[in-house]
Amino acid sequence: MATAIDGANRPMTAEERKVIFASSLGTVFEWYDFYLYGSLAAVIAKQFFSGLDPTSAYIFALLAFAAGFLVRPFGALVFGRLGDMIGRKYTFLITILIMGSATFIVGCLPNYASIGVAAPIILIVLRMLQGLALGGEYGGAATYVAEHSPHGRRGLYTSWIQTTATLGLFLSLIVILLTREFTGAEFDTWGWRIPFLVSIFLLAVSVWIRLSMNESPAFAKMKSEGKVSKAPLTESFGEWKNLKIVILALLGLTAGQAVVWYTGQFYALFFMTSIAKVDAKTANLLIAASLVIGTPFFIFFGWLSDKIGRKLIIMAGCLIAALSYFTLFPALLNYANPALAAAHAKSKVTVASDASSCSFQGSPIAREIDFKSSCDIAKRALAQSFIPYTNITAASGAAAVVKVGDKEITAPVAKLNAAGDGFDKESAVAIATFKKELAEAAKASGLLTKAEDKSMNMPMVLGILTILVIFVTMVYGPIAAMLVELFPTRIRYTSMSLPYHIGNGWFGGLLPTTAFAMVAATGDIFYGLWYPVIVALGTFVIGMLFVRETKDVDIYAKD
Amino acid sequence: MWKYIVAFVAFAGLALWLLTKAGGDIDMGGERHEVPAATHADEKAPKK
Repeated sequence: MATAIDGANRPMTAEERKVIFASSLGTVFEWYDFYLYGSLAAVIAKQFFSGLDPTSAYIFALLAFAAGFLVRPFGALVFGRLGDMIGRKYTFLITILIMGSATFIVGCLPNYASIGVAAPIILIVLRMLQGLALGGEYGGAATYVAEHSPHGRRGLYTSWIQTTATLGLFLSLIVILLTREFTGAEFDTWGWRIPFLVSIFLLAVSVWIRLSMNESPAFAKMKSEGKVSKAPLTESFGEWKNLKIVILALLGLTAGQAVVWYTGQFYALFFMTSIAKVDAKTANLLIAASLVIGTPFFIFFGWLSDKIGRKLIIMAGCLIAALSYFTLFPALLNYANPALAAAHAKSKVTVASDASSCSFQGSPIAREIDFKSSCDIAKRALAQSFIPYTNITAASGAAAVVKVGDKEITAPVAKLNAAGDGFDKESAVAIATFKKELAEAAKASGLLTKAEDKSMNMPMVLGILTILVIFVTMVYGPIAAMLVELFPTRIRYTSMSLPYHIGNGWFGGLLPTTAFAMVAATGDIFYGLWYPVIVALGTFVIGMLFVRETKDVDIYAKD
Repeated sequence: MWKYIVAFVAFAGLALWLLTKAGGDIDMGGERHEVPAATHADEKAPKK
């Protein structure tokens, strides 16, 4: 393994650059798709889901949810196993072929108006296939790059993979911009297909480059010595000595990394638009700008982790983030929307309710119609507008009463219609009336004041958002190298992929819903931050106590 | 190292320029995996 040892002091070779580039293409695809589906969500919904009845729409929403939360970890197992048995290179080819083809087919797919319910079904199947392939992509990229990296530079080399998020974002942005420019008014009818169709070029380049790559030296050596694992799943998760490390990787590394990432990018956007009431365009621009500014720090912390250790940086990222969120987010509100922050301090809102009729609204698959009690309707309406309130205990069985200033508004109890897929007409009207009265009272108290560009302290807002992204780069920059170094070559792909996807999919993915439920339950608009704070602190404690430093690990030692 | 710095500055400049040109075409929230909450389309408040 002469290429992989003692290379810390030489510059990156052309072959190594090619390895990093080829490996990162899959994650570019991932992010390209991610932002494409986000930016074109309204068009896609109109094209594929607009004709569905509420029950079918709910089933499809559940399947889309499953694609993100269940299929990716399953894909981690399927392709991780394959990668440990037949090799990184061929597994890599399969995952990118599935991902790229699925994206391209979406661009050709007839819409609901043409083929009816088959259109959303095929779309969901394609998303599931993409989810499956994605489950194997990140672990493969990290493993492949790390196994090509010289000892002492794995942190630097693998950190390049994380920068693909920014690249994928701008690729999607450029394609959408150009398509809108050329298709004009036709964009919503057929122009939206072009960004999906052009992905075929990215796929062709990716497959061509990946075909020309060699198998990773670590896997090739293991294969030549006949030491390839015959049952990577059993070895990874059936033997306690390895399962223990998988669990530690999840709880002591990826769980904290995921919540810091989600808080820094997605919760920050949600906070800006929903809580600080900054218009979506400005908020998206500021978040994107902070991501651009923060991107070099992925490389910096990857490089630094080769010098001072990965564990130190990841743990410091979790700790500093957890300790500073309750300072940074209130400051963000003050700088983004000072008038609203002043209204929060001045206007007091209370909810008097029978606590036994209030539920914890934390299910990610719950629908609006699942909340029928007076208390739930009251708190949900306040939480959806992010109006802070104080809870007061009312008599048992009493309807919830919201008090805004001097105005008291009683929340209704709702009933479902005969089909059970919506509120009955009377309840729907009562809820709408309640929400309207609440909105009028809140507006009069300044609690719905939208942020204005002229009163916003833009540099400070951008500064805080950039700090949040830098926390992300601290936990994310060194994570790939660290995960790779925790496991032996024969089960590396399988063992590192699962904790990564469970950590990010479950701990990170549940952040928006859990944070919302915590805000709804307490009336404190910052209360949702306890979720990332507790998870990040948990990771800090577990990581500090039980996860070993890996930067000096010889990844070939146990082969 | 200086090559990387120059490349990044150029990339960041281009990226930020593109962002300002993009207007409302960008959604940094990306793809949603949540179930849409509202299912009562017939809901309408009476006018006062």
